[in-house]
Amino acid sequence: MLRFVLSALILLVVMSTSETRSLGEDPKPCAGPNCFSSADAWFAREVWTKIGSQSCLTCHKAGGDAEKSEFVLRDPRRADESAQAEVRRHNRDAFLKIARQKEGDDSRLLLKVTGKLDHGGQDVLKPNSTGYGILAEFVRRVNAPPGEPAPAAAPPVSGPPFFEGVTMLDDRRLLRRVTLSLAGRLPTADERTTLETKGLSALPTLMDRLLQEDAFYTRLREAFNDIFLTVGYADGAESALSYEHFSTTRHWTQNYDLSHIKDEKERRQAGYKLANDYRAALFGEPMKLVEHIVRNDRPFTEIITADYIMVSPYTARGYGIFDKIKDRFKNIDDPFEYIPVTLPALVGRNKSQNQESPTGNYPHAGLLSTFQYMRRYPTTETNRNRLRARMYMQHFLGVDALELAARVSDAAEATAKYEIPTMQAAECVVCHKTIDPIAGVFQDYYSFEGVFGPRKDGWYKDMFGPGFEGEDLPKDEKWRSLQWLAERTAKDPRFAVAMVEHGYYVLTGRKVLLPPTELDDPLYNARRRAYDEQRREIDRIAAAFTKSNFNFKTVLKEWVLSDFYRADGLATATKDPARLAELNDVGVVRLLAPEQIERKVEAIFGERWGRLTEQLAMLYGGIDSQEVTERATDPSGAMGAIQRTLANDVACNHTLRDFVRPATERKLFPHVEPDTVPGKSPEGDAAIRRTMAHLHELVLGRHDAADSPEIDRTFQLFSGIIEDAKQQKGLDPRESYYCRHKIPEAPNDRDYTIRAWRGVLTYLLRRQEFLYE
Amino acid sequence: MNNPTRRDFLRCCGLAGLGVALPITRPESTRAAEEDRPYGGPYYAVFNASGGWDTTYLMDPKGINEINRLYKEGDILTHGAHRFAPTEKHKSGGMSNEEFYKEFGSDLLVFNGLDYSVNNHSPGARYMATGKLDSLAYPTFAALVAACQGPTCPLAYLTFGNYSTTGNLVAMARVPYLPSLQRLANADSVEGNPRAPYHDGFALDRIEQALADERKTRTSEPQLPRLERAQSMLYAAQLNSKALQRVTPHLPKDTPKERMSQQAEIALASFKAGVCVSANLTISQFDSHANNDPDQMKLIPEFLAGIAYTIRRAEELGIRDQLVVIVQSEMGRTPTYNKGNGKDHWSVGSIMFLGRGIKGNRVLGETDGGQLTVPFDPVSLAVNRDKGIRVRPEHIHTALRELAGISDHPFSKRFPLGVSPAERLQNFWGEKG
Repeated sequence: MLRFVLSALILLVVMSTSETRSLGEDPKPCAGPNCFSSADAWFAREVWTKIGSQSCLTCHKAGGDAEKSEFVLRDPRRADESAQAEVRRHNRDAFLKIARQKEGDDSRLLLKVTGKLDHGGQDVLKPNSTGYGILAEFVRRVNAPPGEPAPAAAPPVSGPPFFEGVTMLDDRRLLRRVTLSLAGRLPTADERTTLETKGLSALPTLMDRLLQEDAFYTRLREAFNDIFLTVGYADGAESALSYEHFSTTRHWTQNYDLSHIKDEKERRQAGYKLANDYRAALFGEPMKLVEHIVRNDRPFTEIITADYIMVSPYTARGYGIFDKIKDRFKNIDDPFEYIPVTLPALVGRNKSQNQESPTGNYPHAGLLSTFQYMRRYPTTETNRNRLRARMYMQHFLGVDALELAARVSDAAEATAKYEIPTMQAAECVVCHKTIDPIAGVFQDYYSFEGVFGPRKDGWYKDMFGPGFEGEDLPKDEKWRSLQWLAERTAKDPRFAVAMVEHGYYVLTGRKVLLPPTELDDPLYNARRRAYDEQRREIDRIAAAFTKSNFNFKTVLKEWVLSDFYRADGLATATKDPARLAELNDVGVVRLLAPEQIERKVEAIFGERWGRLTEQLAMLYGGIDSQEVTERATDPSGAMGAIQRTLANDVACNHTLRDFVRPATERKLFPHVEPDTVPGKSPEGDAAIRRTMAHLHELVLGRHDAADSPEIDRTFQLFSGIIEDAKQQKGLDPRESYYCRHKIPEAPNDRDYTIRAWRGVLTYLLRRQEFLYE
Repeated sequence: MNNPTRRDFLRCCGLAGLGVALPITRPESTRAAEEDRPYGGPYYAVFNASGGWDTTYLMDPKGINEINRLYKEGDILTHGAHRFAPTEKHKSGGMSNEEFYKEFGSDLLVFNGLDYSVNNHSPGARYMATGKLDSLAYPTFAALVAACQGPTCPLAYLTFGNYSTTGNLVAMARVPYLPSLQRLANADSVEGNPRAPYHDGFALDRIEQALADERKTRTSEPQLPRLERAQSMLYAAQLNSKALQRVTPHLPKDTPKERMSQQAEIALASFKAGVCVSANLTISQFDSHANNDPDQMKLIPEFLAGIAYTIRRAEELGIRDQLVVIVQSEMGRTPTYNKGNGKDHWSVGSIMFLGRGIKGNRVLGETDGGQLTVPFDPVSLAVNRDKGIRVRPEHIHTALRELAGISDHPFSKRFPLGVSPAERLQNFWGEKG
C-alpha cells in the first residue's frame, strides 16, 4: 500500500514538471520536504478549489455533519498562517486516500459524490458535470500504474502580474480621497506639502493624525452601523432595556424634574429634547464602543470581548446606575459623553429573573451582549436564537451561514420524514450543526424582547447542544456563555479576516469578492484569479492586523496603501474578456452615500447642502438600518434627478455669495470679478482659466492645466453661456431671485458672468468625480 | 445645438457593456424614434407577501388534518375553477377571499404545490425572486424584464422592499413616498416648480452639452470596467431623470393611507408615464410563528386589498390591459400549529398570476393532504404522481421569461435557469379567451 501511495505522489510530481505556475498559485518559491510541488498546485487549483472547498468541506470537517466519517478535512480558514501548509497537506492526503478506495470496480469517491453508498450529503455532483470530471481525472491520476507515461499536462496558464497595466492614483489625489473619505475634509496645505516632499511613505504618519480627528469617528460609527445596523431595532430606543430588569428606570425622562422651567411650552419642549437625547444616546452606545476601541488603540477583538459597554449620563439613568458613576463624567448634562462601564448583574422584578453571576457583574461580551444588538436581532419561539447565531457568524467570522444550506432539496419531505429534521436530515444538518450550537450559547438571552431571560423549561433538547464548532459549552461557563464564545472568536483566524473585510467595506462601500462557483463559466479562471488576488491581500492585511495587536487603524492604513484602493485606471484599453473579468471589481469607484455627499459639500463650500436627510436621503439610496439595510450602489433615474437638484441648488447658494466677498477671502472665484468677460483680454482669459483649474481641483480633485482640453471644455461652457445670453432679449440684469434673495448686497450681473459661473459649478457638481469617490 | 438624447445614452451603455434590448439589425432611425417614446407596456407588478404566507388560508384550502382552525373542509368555497378558504367572517379589514375571487377569479391563474425547496427567508426570497437559489448574482425577474424592455426608463425597476437584486443590469429605484415624485419630476426648478427654473434654458442646454462632451471624451479613454460602468450609469441616471416630468399628471390628489396602495400609486403613475417597466411591491410581517391565524387573517386581506386597489387604479388609468400581476411569497407555513399557535416555515406553497397574456379561471398543480407537493406533468399541465416533476421557482421563471418574450434576450442568456426542454411548462399561460 505504501508503495502505491508513493507511486501516486511521484506521479503527481512527475506530472508537475511540465506545468507552468498557475494564476492563483502562491508565487513564493517552494523547497524542502514540507513544500508542495506544482502537481499539488494542480490538486489545489482543480480538486481543492473547485470541489473540496466548495462541496465537501462544509460537512467533512470537525463539527460538520460528516465529522465521524473516514474522510475528514480541515478548514484552512480556521488555521493561522503557520499551520496552512499542514492543513493543505492533510487535505491533499485525505483526498489521496479516498481516491484510492474502490467499491468493486468503481471509485468510492466518485460513487459518494454522486449520492451513492448512502452518502449523507446525497448527490453533490452530477455525473456529467465539470466538477465530476475533475474528480474523475484526479482518481485516474492517483490510480494510474507507476509505469504509465504521464498524461499531457494541462494547458499552461499564465498571465501578467495582476495589476500590470493598471494605473494608480497619484499621491495628491490619494490624499484627497483619504481625507474626504475618512474625515470629510480636504487635505491641509501641510499634509500636501509633506506628501509632496516625502512621498507615499509619509501617508501612514499623516493618517495617524487623521485617525484622531472627531470627524473620523463620526464616519467610523456610521460605517460600522452599516455593517451591524444596531440603530435599527424596533419599538423605540428604550425597548433595549427590558421591563423585567429596568421597569423603574428605563423611562426616567418621563419623571425628570423640569419644574425650574416656568414657561409650560418651554418645559414641554425641554422634555421632548431630554427624551430624544436619551433615545439617541441609547441608540448610539454600540457604535461608541467601536469608537472607544479604535480611538484608544485598544485591540479590536474588544468589539466582542470587552467586559464593559459605553454609557452616557443619560443612559446611565436608564440603567439605574447614574448615582454610582456620576463622578466619572466630565459633564453630567452631556447626553453624549460616553465612558466605559461594567454593569452589575441584572436584578429582576422577581428572583427568577435575576442573573446568575459569580462576579456580580453582567457578563459583557463586547457588542454581542449589548441590549441593542440583542434587540436588533431578536428571537422567537421557533427561531430559537438562530438569527443571532447567523448574524454573529456573519459579523464576527465573515461566514454567511445561510449559504451553507443553499441547495435545492426537498425540505418539506425532510420535515415530514424525520422527527427532528434539523438533527437528522442531511440537508438540514449541514447548516444547523453549525448554527444551533451557537444559538444555544445565546440561551440565557431568550426573552422575547431580546435581552436576558432564560427559557423557563430549560434549553431545547431537539437542537444540537450549545457550543462552538464542535466544542461543547461547559456547564460552569453557561452564566458567561457569550464571553466563552467571544474568547474563541477572538482567537479564530476568521475573526481577523472578517475585520479586514469590514475595513474594505468601510473604505469602498461594498463587500469583498466571493469565490466563483460556476465551473462551466468560460471566465471562471479569470474570476477565480480576481478572487484569489483579493483574498491574498486580505490575508496579508489580516496578518498585519493581528501583528499590530488587532489595531483597526492598521487595517485602514494597509488598505489605503494597497493597490486595490489606489487602482485608478488603465494604461491601455483592453477588450480581452478574461482580463476585463479579472479587473471587473478593481478600483474604489464608490457612489457617495447621502451623508458622504453632505460632508463633501461642506468640505468644499464651507456648509452642507442640508437636504440629503430623512426622506430625500432614503430616495438617494440611504438606509434606515431596519427595513432598508443596504445602500444603493448605482444611481437610479430618481437619484439622477436629485443630483440635478443638488448641483443646481448648491451652485445657486454659493456662486453669488462667493463673489460678494473680497477676492482674498473667496473659496471659489479668487482670480476673477463679475466683469471678467471671456475674449476681452488675454489676461482676463488667463484668469478665467486659472479659476477653472482651481474649481476642477476643488470640486473634482482633478489637476488640469489651464490650457488642457478639460479646461477648454469648461471655458467653452462658460463663454458659450455668455454668448447665448447676449442673443437673448429682455434678460434680467440680476442673478435669479432664488439665488440672490438672501444676499442684500448682491451686485448686478449685467455681463451674465455670475450666472455663467453658476452654470460651470452646476456642470462640475454633476460629474462623476464629484459624486463618487 | 444638439442636446444629448437617450440614444446617446444607449450608445454609452453599449460601450459600457450594459447592452440594450433592441436588435442591432434595426434601422438607426427607427431605433431612435422608438427609444425616445415613453415605454408603453407591458408593466409588471410583483406582489410579495414577505415572511411566508399561509396558502391554506387563501388559494390552497385544506380544512383537514387540523391544518386550519378557522374552517373545515366542508366550508371551502369555489368560484369557477378556483377553490379558496372562507375568510369573510375572520377579516377585520381589507378584502376577503370571497370578494377577491368574485372580482378577479375569472382572470386569475393559480399554481399550487410549488416546491420552494428551502424554508428559510433569505434563500427563499432570493429563489422566488430570481429563479436561482445558489447564486447571489442573478437579477430578480422584475429587474431582468426592466433591463430587457426598458433600459432607458428613469425608474425602470421600482422596488419597495423584498429581495431586489439587479444583477447589475439596471438601476433599482426606491421611491417610497408620493410627494417625492413631484420634486423629482422637476429637478431643474426650484422646489419642483416648473415656473422657477434655476437656469435659463440656453444655459441648461450648454451644461447638458458639456456633460455629453465630457462623457464622450471619457468613453474614448481606457478605463477600468468599474469606472466605465459607473460613468455610464451616472450619465444615464441624470439624462433619463428628465423623463420623470411625465409622471406628474398621473399622481393622485390624495395619498391613500394603506401601505400597499401608496406603493401602487407610485408604481402606476410611473407605468402610466412610461418611465417604469416593473415594480416590486411588498408588505411584510407574514412570518407568523406566533398566533398564525390572527396574523394571516389581518395580512392576507390587506394584501388582497392592495392587489385589488392596484388593478382597479390601473383600469382607471387605462393601463390594465398592459398590466401583468404576479403574487408570491418566499415560503409557506407548516400544516401544523406550534405551541404558540403559530406556524413555522414550510417549503411548499403557491403562486398566482393575472393580467396581460394570462388565461384566468385556472388552477394548476396541487398539494396533498399533508400539504406536500404532488408531482406535475409540465406538458399536460395535470398532476402525475408517477412521472411528474416537482415544479420549482426556476420552472416558473422560465415560463415568466417566455411570457415576457425575453427568453432569448442576451441578458436572460447571461443568467440561465437550467430548465431542460422536457421540464418546461408547456402552454402554461393558456390562450386567453
